[in-house]
Amino acid sequence: MRMGELATSACVGDVLVTIGLGSCVGVALVDARRPIVGLAHVMLPEATNAPGPIAKFADTGVPELARAVRAEGAARLEAVIVGGAQMFSFSGEGGANIGARNEAAVREELGKLGIPIRAAATGGRKGRTLRVHVDGTRVTVREVAGVEEELYTRT
Amino acid sequence: MEGPHTMTPHYTDMQLDALRELANIGSGNAGTSLSAMLGHPVDISVPAASALPLADAVEAAGDPESLATGVVLPIFGDINATVLLLFPPDDEATLCHLLGVPPGTEDGRGALGEIGNILGCAYINSLAGMTGLAIEPHPPETVCDMVGAIMATVLAVQADQTNLALVMDSRLIVEGQECELTFLLLPSLEGIDELLARLGLA
Repeated sequence: MRMGELATSACVGDVLVTIGLGSCVGVALVDARRPIVGLAHVMLPEATNAPGPIAKFADTGVPELARAVRAEGAARLEAVIVGGAQMFSFSGEGGANIGARNEAAVREELGKLGIPIRAAATGGRKGRTLRVHVDGTRVTVREVAGVEEELYTRT
Repeated sequence: MEGPHTMTPHYTDMQLDALRELANIGSGNAGTSLSAMLGHPVDISVPAASALPLADAVEAAGDPESLATGVVLPIFGDINATVLLLFPPDDEATLCHLLGVPPGTEDGRGALGEIGNILGCAYINSLAGMTGLAIEPHPPETVCDMVGAIMATVLAVQADQTNLALVMDSRLIVEGQECELTFLLLPSLEGIDELLARLGLA
């Protein structure tokens, strides 16, 4: 899944993937009891008049993802968030560190929706790839040239 | 699913041709500098200038999960832009060998950063010369990571203004050495307008 995209699945066998999360944040929402998952690839904290697809921004993308996963039949939602790295030390035009702002915005939106964050792999300086396996509702993360690490499994 | 405020700038073929020509001359100068440093002839592929949605722009530099060393130079002044050079691991090793520094070490990365700096300045100086713009690169930063993560993070900086990125890319090929690097110029939205205005094509 690419930047600004959002998807859900309840098909065992499906794996939702976002490759190369740098300052972007991947938000995985899963049902705590059944194999229903969703994933959004957020690029910026706020949509204030900025153009782009709904999941490009934390403040529009996270509520839309929650709505979409519930529409698939999910009831008790839990979240796993990945990304928000600061890959470069210069701040660029945007001033503050976009990765940290993305993470803060995602946490705030999840807080508003009352969805608990069960696991996170955020910050740091490295890019990450996030995989959400519908089968067993497993969420895994991998850094470049690293090993696949399990962040979450449905119990 | 585009929002109500979507602003999609449109560039004509003539404008893109002019930007491509800028990329051609800029990368020509960068290639000359690289050739002088290495003592080997350097070929330059026909550059591209394309206006792409951000998600496509991320993929314009190749497989997003592939590993590369990226040298980033932020450009400030009359226009803001980012110069990004990408070295795949094998090409990085060849280049370090040609420079006589061990690849994958602090020295190796330092040398790549310096190459990025010199090539970026050569490119930017020719752009400044042609357009009369006062532009200046900041010191380079070197990262080794997934191509997609590097591209997305560079593009995120200007993503609040636009969902479209102009990608000007060229490939520099060191003859007889199987060594190739990707050179990208990513101007901000205003930067593109300013470039086109200077060329009389706004």
